Amino acid sequence: MQAHERLPRPALPRVLIADGGGAPIRVPLMLRAGLLLRDIDIAAVIGRVASFEGVAVIDLDSVRGMASDEAAADFAIDTLGVRIVMTRRAHVAAHVGSRGGLGLLHAFAFDSTGLTRALDGSPPLPGVGTVVSPGAVLPHMRPSELEQLARPIVAYGLLVRVADALDCLELAECVVLRQDVAAELATTARRSTQPVRNLLTTVAGEE
Amino acid sequence: MTATPLTATGEFLARLEESKCCAAIVSDEQLELAMASRTPIVFVLRGNGLTLGPSIQRIHATGKLAAVHLDLVDGVRADPRGVAWLARLGADAIITSHGRLMPVVRKEGAIAILRLLLSRRTHLDTALTAVSRAGPDIIEVLPGVILPSLGALMPKLGVPLLAGGFIRTEADAEDVIAAGATGITTSAPNLWGMYAGA
Repeated sequence: MQAHERLPRPALPRVLIADGGGAPIRVPLMLRAGLLLRDIDIAAVIGRVASFEGVAVIDLDSVRGMASDEAAADFAIDTLGVRIVMTRRAHVAAHVGSRGGLGLLHAFAFDSTGLTRALDGSPPLPGVGTVVSPGAVLPHMRPSELEQLARPIVAYGLLVRVADALDCLELAECVVLRQDVAAELATTARRSTQPVRNLLTTVAGEE
Repeated sequence: MTATPLTATGEFLARLEESKCCAAIVSDEQLELAMASRTPIVFVLRGNGLTLGPSIQRIHATGKLAAVHLDLVDGVRADPRGVAWLARLGADAIITSHGRLMPVVRKEGAIAILRLLLSRRTHLDTALTAVSRAGPDIIEVLPGVILPSLGALMPKLGVPLLAGGFIRTEADAEDVIAAGATGITTSAPNLWGMYAGA
């Protein structure tokens, strides 16, 4: 067992900013956001992880030059120190969970039938949460559908309005935003009442 | 096997104009409900594509049109032969995410519906190219319920747009229509035939 496997399971920030490896991401202080490294080259992943002090998450399926298998997950955990890994492969997410990290199983929710089918084959596993894409559908899901999703839940994709992001934060532990929407969210939070600011610091379901 | 006369896009759209909320069915029970409803078009999303002929004939017998999802029904491959098979069974429209099959669907005399799955903003950026390249008669966007939140980010695609996915209430349906959808596909029976005779 490696040292990091004895650590507590990593916690998600409430906001992840999508990072494709272009210009460096500026994280609004108010949000204490992490980075979701996606659609990015493997070399850029290494550079980003080395220079970013917050929580980084890797979307294993979209890193150019990396496979989306257990070996790649182990590389993320052991070499890069990234302990939260997103993947469409249930066995890889389970592997990350078994290593003491947080595996995020990426489920597509284009309609209720497809979502049900996607979740049928995925029993809840320790250390495995769910990424729902597009995240914007989350507020339109029934409570019974939300209950089927292993937590933590990440809402990822097409959250183009601050209002939608806030709605999702009521239901999910984390949202993935583009940098411009994240900046707008930070501005909104600064000008808002305490309940809105609480949404950015309190994990869904907590008192 | 009798091929049913094929329907032109104009007639399909005229039916949609009559009643914008169409049944999307995944079971025999839903087929029965759909046939008894005021939905003008039945979208078949499940079942055995090789033996759909009788169901399509029953749909036609109730005066409705049948649209079949090539990628979702069992037993049929999403290739030109699969398209030809469904057209031969009498499908008025064939839906697929495979843009390259749009000309094949039209050649077979059915209405070509391209299904666009949107999960990222980059998909909005590439949608116009995909539609231009494929040349569908109609597009179906999923998840349709988020169409109102996309606003100006949703590109003008130049073809009639159906919206499907997580549309469950009258308010959802009204918002989606107001956002520019020509019609809605939904598995919620309470919405089937909504706007009929309005």
